[in-house]
Amino acid sequence: MQLLDIRNLTIELDTPQGKVKALDRVSLTIQDGEIHGLVGESGSGRSLLARAILGIPGSNWTIKADRMMLNGRNLLEMNSQERRSIMGSEMAMIFQDPSSSLDPVISVGSQLIEAMPASTGFWWSRGKKRKRAAEKWLHKVGIKDHKKIMASFPWELSEGECQKVMIAMAVANSPKLLIADEPTASMETSTQAQIFRLLSQLNQLHGVSILLISHELETVSQWCERLTVLYAGQVMEAGPTQQLIAKPFHPYTKALLGHIPDYTETTQQKSILPTLPGSAPALQHLPIGCRLGPRCPEAKKTCVKQPILCRKKGRHFACHFPYTNETCHDSTIA
Amino acid sequence: MPQIKIYQEDEIPSPSLRIWQVFSSNPFAVLGLWLVICLLLLTVFGPLIAPYTAEQQDTQALLLPPSWDPAGTVEHFLGTDDLGRDIFSRLLHGAHLTFGMALWIVISALSVGLVIGSLSGMMKGIKSSILGHLLDALLSIPSMLLAILVVAVMGPGLENIFWAVGLALTPQFVRSTHLAVREESQKEYVKAAILDGANPLQIFWFVIMPNVWETIIVQTTLAISVAILDIAALGFLGLGAQAPSPEWGAMIAQGLDNLLTAPWTVTIPGATILVSVLSINLVGDGLRTALAPR
Amino acid sequence: MGKYLLRRLNLFVATSLVLAGVLFYTTGLFPVDRITALSGIVSPSPAQVEQVTELYALNKNTPLQFSAFLQQRLSGDLGISITSQQSVSQELMARLPATLELANVAALLALVFGVPIGILASLTQHRLTQHAIMAMTLTGYSIPVFWLGLTLSLWFGVHLGWLPISGQINLLYEIEPVTGFILFDTWVSDSEYRMAAFLDALQHMILPSITLAVLPFTVVVRITRSAMLNIMNQTFIRAAEARGLSTAKIVLRHALPNALIPVLKHLGIMLGPFASYSIIVEVIFSWPGVGSWLVSGIYQRDYTVIQGGILVVALLIMLSSILIEIVHTATNPISRKELYASN
Repeated sequence: MQLLDIRNLTIELDTPQGKVKALDRVSLTIQDGEIHGLVGESGSGRSLLARAILGIPGSNWTIKADRMMLNGRNLLEMNSQERRSIMGSEMAMIFQDPSSSLDPVISVGSQLIEAMPASTGFWWSRGKKRKRAAEKWLHKVGIKDHKKIMASFPWELSEGECQKVMIAMAVANSPKLLIADEPTASMETSTQAQIFRLLSQLNQLHGVSILLISHELETVSQWCERLTVLYAGQVMEAGPTQQLIAKPFHPYTKALLGHIPDYTETTQQKSILPTLPGSAPALQHLPIGCRLGPRCPEAKKTCVKQPILCRKKGRHFACHFPYTNETCHDSTIA
Repeated sequence: MPQIKIYQEDEIPSPSLRIWQVFSSNPFAVLGLWLVICLLLLTVFGPLIAPYTAEQQDTQALLLPPSWDPAGTVEHFLGTDDLGRDIFSRLLHGAHLTFGMALWIVISALSVGLVIGSLSGMMKGIKSSILGHLLDALLSIPSMLLAILVVAVMGPGLENIFWAVGLALTPQFVRSTHLAVREESQKEYVKAAILDGANPLQIFWFVIMPNVWETIIVQTTLAISVAILDIAALGFLGLGAQAPSPEWGAMIAQGLDNLLTAPWTVTIPGATILVSVLSINLVGDGLRTALAPR
Repeated sequence: MGKYLLRRLNLFVATSLVLAGVLFYTTGLFPVDRITALSGIVSPSPAQVEQVTELYALNKNTPLQFSAFLQQRLSGDLGISITSQQSVSQELMARLPATLELANVAALLALVFGVPIGILASLTQHRLTQHAIMAMTLTGYSIPVFWLGLTLSLWFGVHLGWLPISGQINLLYEIEPVTGFILFDTWVSDSEYRMAAFLDALQHMILPSITLAVLPFTVVVRITRSAMLNIMNQTFIRAAEARGLSTAKIVLRHALPNALIPVLKHLGIMLGPFASYSIIVEVIFSWPGVGSWLVSGIYQRDYTVIQGGILVVALLIMLSSILIEIVHTATNPISRKELYASN
């Protein structure tokens, strides 16, 4: 069953240079209970997408979409109060810099207790219950010394500990969907592994679907069942991780895979790591049509028209010249 | 041939141009700037354009209301006081006493404070803390108490107010310079300059100072408005400029006896002080927002 | 924390010494006889001269004179007033409560109205409201306080006749001074017109306290607003939103405690100007406090009053600014973090 179904989401930013389409007709589907990876360079609109899904847009955004369904409910038709009420309970989010995502003047414990679901029972025992719930969740995310953590302030903890607290706060209300926006940025590899393992545990034990946003295709591919590749606000390719890695259809995905240093084959010493020419375009200077166009090794004249998103056997790709012979009939853009 | 713009190019303005762009986009700040320029001109040329001298008494026109009042005349545009002195002329003559004096005080306090503040900011340890903290003692003495002390020693008078207000303002400059220099000197780019082999003087002048000016400019505008208010307040209390002087605060004190019969002798000088301080604060506010975001 | 307190205490002692030194030096500069300047005795008899010379070690060298001066002042002997020949410290103690009362009421007014308006100014998207609030605060910041006081008393006291414009209480009421705080004294007094006296004192309080509150009010509004604007853009506010907390809860529980920290800090900085303003306000409204006492002291060239008043008021201000700093550090976990870093 589809938990999240987004069709043709477009976000326009109102900048001093005029309106800019930061996200251009992005479609994303997340199945119930899967870990979905969203890969893209910084500035490709990953965080915008996450915030749009959650419903905390910036003041200069215009959001348009054909469809935005969460668990069968239409997010587009809800007013801000309804949106706020499903935040936390239906979906939750963890951010890239966990230590600044916690209020610096209140102790971690009281913030954690505040995030616990309202407990039932006699009013005098409610506080205690919530405290116990907070401790329970701290244990679940792998923090043993709950007393010390709850008494400290955010800046006294390490990034990894803060992220674990954030995860505990996010998952405590048992949301269906957890959006993890680069949860391991600026962490050491061992902490990163801990966080990812924790996320996949939560996914398996509690059935939380996770949208994992990252710029590292390598790490994301280890943990995710399905991937969506984003470039400059457009979806390039989406599909099951295994197939996508084994046989990418889109030149951009292939280039991304090529960036991963290959230690198995004997590469020549001091040979240049394969990269796409040029750099990602600034939002004010987006090329027309396929935004990869100017950097794409396969680009031809037709690429000034935006390619339609093709669906073939569970794979999606938007390219005029994919690395596949299958022709495309079904389309989402008429 | 006209240049055709093919590419949409971003022009990146120089820092000073950018500050001006942000500043001028705020209409209130620009209005304030114009008013300050007018005030500066009046401070210099005010006595020349004043229709009467400051002490000239027109016995035919005592306590004449301003010209827009039915009883008022155009000869005395803003009316006269109880001795028949023209208020408009007195205001013009008083501009260099209140506003000009405030500028002098701020400039002197700024130069002294800048030297002490940057010395204490660049130094470390006990020397720095003596220079930096002992002036805190002066800072905590309210300017009014300091003025009372100065007047007790030197007697009342506008010249002595120079010392009173100046002594009250200097520690503020010392403190803000000290803090700004301190804060900048702990940043990484200063360390980079040290590693490049710059000597302390070069570091101070070419590395730290360009980043401290902004704080000092904002502090200066604040100080000017404080100085005007203090000079006027001291004049009002009779501790500063003395009775016949057209200093704005002293004018209010002189009009006090006729507050009920001729309120304009108090309202008009007060409004003048308000407008001049307000315009300086508008400029200061505009500068602060223009300088704030990097 | 102990080390920090010790350092603050050190700073207080050092600055007090500097202050005492300045006052000691200026006493020598007063255009009267040194014995009169120190003790307040006008045309002293030979016996008194000898006594004062002994007390202040006037025949010894300067450091000894300074230490004798310190001893006298620290023991609470501020000399006698030159004009009234009464003990300066007693006159001061009689007047200090009135000043403190006025200052506290004004500060309370400024905080009670300033903080909510600052929050409102930061949250409203309405440009007109924002501009109106900013214009109001900028005007309040620029207005000469003596002129404001005069205008207010002219309108509300004279033209409309609503409020009394001078003194602390109508002279008809005889209230036994218990604490010196007039509101408190009238409240606890056992006379039959207790309530009427209290209301009268309250009415007398309105105009001076509003005049005095204008400056701190505008500063509080501006600081609260800029701090709130800054904090509402932080990640932790977005994280709190993402957790589904209501806006009211976010503002009150997460943004406000963070925003009040800089407000508290600025309160300490504002003490000096606030004291200056309160002197002027006391003069305008004939408030029987330290400020008007000091100003009348300077009119009458009462050097002992000036000296003693400045010493006590400046010490009080220094003490309270250090206290505010300590409260700021104690209530603010972030500054404690900086404390760790500096040690």
